Amino acid sequence: MPVSDYLPFIRPPKARFVTERGEPVWGVMAQFDDTAGAFHAAEKMRDAGFRRWDLHAPFPIHGIEGAMGFKRTILPFLVLGGTFTGVATAVGMQWWISAIDYPLVVQGKPFGAWEPFTMIIFELGVLFSAFASLFIMLALNGLPRWNHPLMRKDRFLAVTDDKFFVVVQANDPSFNPEQTSRFLRDIGASAVELVEDA
Amino acid sequence: MTQMTAERYQKILARIAHDPRMSEENVSAPAATTATLSRALLGLGAAGLVVTLVGGFAIDAKHAMASYLVAVGAVLAISLGALILVMCFHLVNAGWVATTRRQFENLASLAPVALAMLVPLLLLDMFVTKGTLWSWLEPGAIDTDPILQAKAPFFNLVFFTLRLAFYAVLWTFLSIRLRAFSTEQDRTGDRFLSNRAKFMSAWGLPLTALTMAFAGFDYFMSLEPEFFSTMWGVYLFAGGAVGCMAVIVLTFAGLRFVGRMNGIVTEEHFHDLGKLLFAFTCFWAYIAFSQYFLIWYSNIPEETFWMLERTTGQWKGTGIFLAVGHFIIPFMFLMPRAVKRRTGLVALGAAWMLFMHIMDYVWIVRPVLHQGGHAPTPATWWVDIAAVLGVFGIFFGLYVARVGSGPLLALKDPKLPEALKHVNYV
Repeated sequence: MPVSDYLPFIRPPKARFVTERGEPVWGVMAQFDDTAGAFHAAEKMRDAGFRRWDLHAPFPIHGIEGAMGFKRTILPFLVLGGTFTGVATAVGMQWWISAIDYPLVVQGKPFGAWEPFTMIIFELGVLFSAFASLFIMLALNGLPRWNHPLMRKDRFLAVTDDKFFVVVQANDPSFNPEQTSRFLRDIGASAVELVEDA
Repeated sequence: MTQMTAERYQKILARIAHDPRMSEENVSAPAATTATLSRALLGLGAAGLVVTLVGGFAIDAKHAMASYLVAVGAVLAISLGALILVMCFHLVNAGWVATTRRQFENLASLAPVALAMLVPLLLLDMFVTKGTLWSWLEPGAIDTDPILQAKAPFFNLVFFTLRLAFYAVLWTFLSIRLRAFSTEQDRTGDRFLSNRAKFMSAWGLPLTALTMAFAGFDYFMSLEPEFFSTMWGVYLFAGGAVGCMAVIVLTFAGLRFVGRMNGIVTEEHFHDLGKLLFAFTCFWAYIAFSQYFLIWYSNIPEETFWMLERTTGQWKGTGIFLAVGHFIIPFMFLMPRAVKRRTGLVALGAAWMLFMHIMDYVWIVRPVLHQGGHAPTPATWWVDIAAVLGVFGIFFGLYVARVGSGPLLALKDPKLPEALKHVNYV
């Protein structure tokens, strides 16, 4: 997801393709009428080497992640960074407060005893991990956003009813409006539309 | 309870019968290998016990008894952990575990053996050595100590023996019956046996949890009879569950190594077994730290002396080793998904956890030898090693024989199709 989606004052990169009316092309969308058709289309999209594409369906399809060739997310490793930040914050904060800045005798226990720190270390570790996983997940998904080019397509509304859509973005390296549309029709799409960038 | 209809069960049996993975060879252990391994382990065990006995006469009876108690405690906790897990699987209607539950049942059914290995030690200290290991068994010990006098209703030979008999009857009955339901289903294909196992688990689980806690009080906490900790039972269970998962993972890694259970116990099952191993490791750490923390915080002398013995001075190193080796290292090692899905790596983690499980019991039991200026030197550690090899040799020799004695999984379990196509989606 381009940075310009988050920071609107940054000028977005120039569109690779424009429509006849001069609007930048966001991608193409292809409608499929049944689950099996959409599933096999996803396998063919995967095998054709498309990278920036997605499949929209009215309900979860079992095994679609394999058909689409999903790789595992890098999210867990990024969350680990959040965990270490939380642990370091907890250790540093408590040790500085109770051993350096304001040492206070509590029940005759030593200043800076590690035992009572443990709960806060755990809590802050979990809290920072949770924040990291939520916000990094949203960022990796390109969220939040106000609108999406697909929302302007009347045909796309059927995705909440009984239709399936394979969508290829224009920033896919192997994207070309004509060739990709033809490829989508070849793999069984019942309708293909160009999607303009909003 | 929703009942599986007879037709549906027949369909499931037909599907299992036609499954190429369920071939006779694939679901039975190689007879020659298990027989050899079992004999070797039993031989090692017998030799280890003889050496322990020699150590008892040559060095110090108390040292040999404590070393033997370390090993017996470890295997008793492993088998009881397996018994509790089997009952949990029945009660939560676990589907994925249908291909692996038989080995849990085999392990649980050795709980009577582990208890039987403890009985000679108890009898020895009750009637021959009279309180060498359990100091309250010494004649007159209770009458002279006001703390023990208050605990006299609990610490008397009659009630002590009755409790032992109750544990023996309960654990033997539950572990043998739960395994028998499963093996009987292999032969008869009676789908109601699964329901009977569930019913038995419902009353068996709380009773086993309580008796395990009380056995922990009787045989391990009472080594220092002034000490008390309300987390003792759950601490011993957490350790036993870790040991049990470690043994199960090693069992299936071994079976996959000799080319059995192909397509039946896959990386998906190892992933879930590894998750349980990881989860119980964290649970053990949580309970162990909570026990330490509450004793440290409340600062009651009857409790702190026990922790001080084990976290300062001579046993400080073992305590730190336990925290690092029983929690931090396996926590980091077993966390990645890729590790739990590789048989070799998860087996490595399991072998380490089995070793740490023994170290846990060393840390619980062995410091009693260091009281009152009485301190064995490292030169006598061979007795500890001999006792562990002896008890583990006998226990696992019998376990391997039991694994090889029948099918490696519950052949006609109603949940088997679910377990055979088990996949982790995340």
